[in-house]
Amino acid sequence: MRAGELLVGTAGAIAAAVQARTISAAAMVDASLARIGAIDPAVNAFTDVVAERARARAAALDKRLAEGDEGSAALPLAGVPFAVKNLFDVAGLTTRAGSKIEREKAPASVDAPLVARLERAGAVLVGGLNMDEYAYGFTTENSHDGPTRNPHDLARVAGGSSGGSAAAVAAGEVPVSLGSDTNGSIRVPSSLCGVFGLKPTYGRLPRNGSYPFVASLDHLGPFARSAHDLALVYDAIQGFDRADPACVERGLEATAATIGEPVDGLRIAVLGGWFRELADGSARAAVDCVATALRAHREVELPRVESARAAAFLISNAEGAALHLADLRSRAGDFEPLSRDRFLAGALLPAAWIVQAQRLRRWFALRVAEILREVDVLIAPATPCVAPTIGSETIEIHGRRLPARPSLGLLTQPISFIGLPVCAVPVWRCHATMPIGVQLIAAPWREDLVLRVAHHLQQAGVVDAPVAALTASR
Amino acid sequence: MDRERIEAYVDAAAAALDLPLAPAHRPGVLAYFALAAELAEALAGAPLGIGDDPAPVFTPIAPDDPPEAGSASSR
Repeated sequence: MRAGELLVGTAGAIAAAVQARTISAAAMVDASLARIGAIDPAVNAFTDVVAERARARAAALDKRLAEGDEGSAALPLAGVPFAVKNLFDVAGLTTRAGSKIEREKAPASVDAPLVARLERAGAVLVGGLNMDEYAYGFTTENSHDGPTRNPHDLARVAGGSSGGSAAAVAAGEVPVSLGSDTNGSIRVPSSLCGVFGLKPTYGRLPRNGSYPFVASLDHLGPFARSAHDLALVYDAIQGFDRADPACVERGLEATAATIGEPVDGLRIAVLGGWFRELADGSARAAVDCVATALRAHREVELPRVESARAAAFLISNAEGAALHLADLRSRAGDFEPLSRDRFLAGALLPAAWIVQAQRLRRWFALRVAEILREVDVLIAPATPCVAPTIGSETIEIHGRRLPARPSLGLLTQPISFIGLPVCAVPVWRCHATMPIGVQLIAAPWREDLVLRVAHHLQQAGVVDAPVAALTASR
Repeated sequence: MDRERIEAYVDAAAAALDLPLAPAHRPGVLAYFALAAELAEALAGAPLGIGDDPAPVFTPIAPDDPPEAGSASSR
């Protein structure tokens, strides 16, 4: 099989071919770089391409394989090209975090731990990806670098804030990528671009070497076009790192090896209330489709979801603003116009609101834990609707007109607020042309369950992540 | 919180924080502060008791704890 065909397949198949030396890592990197060159002017997922570094590392891997190095031949992601949201440190690149201000800083001296771990597993970094400035947004309409366009319809947003990470995977430029999720920034773009995304449990993956947004709520995680690829990447990046004070010391809990285990016997329920009321017809149909396939007939409601969402908004607003207070004082005009005023307002929030929000966080986590004693996996829509067109100011849900940019996260925010692991899975045929995502949610540390259910749904043909039909001339 | 109180609070808090609000930015700041105030009201009725501590828990760091590992250039 040619490298170009493998590139639009799975990471697992690429690694198997590179391990067997039926294709070289160098050929895979060249295929990725060629597709980025041909497609990305239309999509605008990439802000940095590290061609020289990628070619050198691929050549070094090929050399070790040619010499019969057994360790290299066993690498689970051998020769798999990947890219990362541009808030990850990449040695030699300035960590811009989608901003104008940060690009004045010195380049990072070392790779972020998750980048290094993926490369230790054989993957090869090819570049950095577009995002909302400082991760504060759900659309990746970045005024400094231009909007990332949805590969399935270039007139629509890719979602955000990890829009480049989802779009690069949907466009077939790379099979896997990394992003971050504070309030939905992995799950929203996964939903809008029709790819799989994993937001692990809060504290599961170390965040040092990534530019922070809201330390209380920040998570990192992967994107892919299959649940099995998500598991391969997730397994490769697990591990404690003391440099992130929120990182929890847990051993490797591998997921790829058990992903094919049956889902029979799992207690699966649909989230009602808030998660039904704020979903339009396409989003509800996607949930119904997944629920039917899983024979999930039970509906449960979480208590005070509206308060949980409000609390997540307030904590994000205040912590994010405090982080940038010095620049907000001295150079507010250099911030992204779409989020600048929100940051400025966040700097002024009364302390009592934030402390109450943090108290509610623990209260809500305790209540939801009670529900998760009775249910293994919860199903909810990932976004209220499919991708809006670029520049949309509002979305309409059952006659209610809502501001587009903050409202795309209404259904993801209450879940990340209490750090539960979620796999977003892409559903088609619920809208005339576009995909929409469904969240599979489990108790903390049960990434294995959401990945297993996602894999089962993909094997059954219920969810899928086809590469967008883009050509260089489009 | 009505508009008048929001304007008074925002201007006073911005002055206290030494955070200048450019005339072009102030209307947006007022609108987002009003949104935050509305959301804070959604929290006001939460059934929090005296035993409901905030979620973050601080971990003390002893002098002989191992040094931080990994790269930390951005965090």
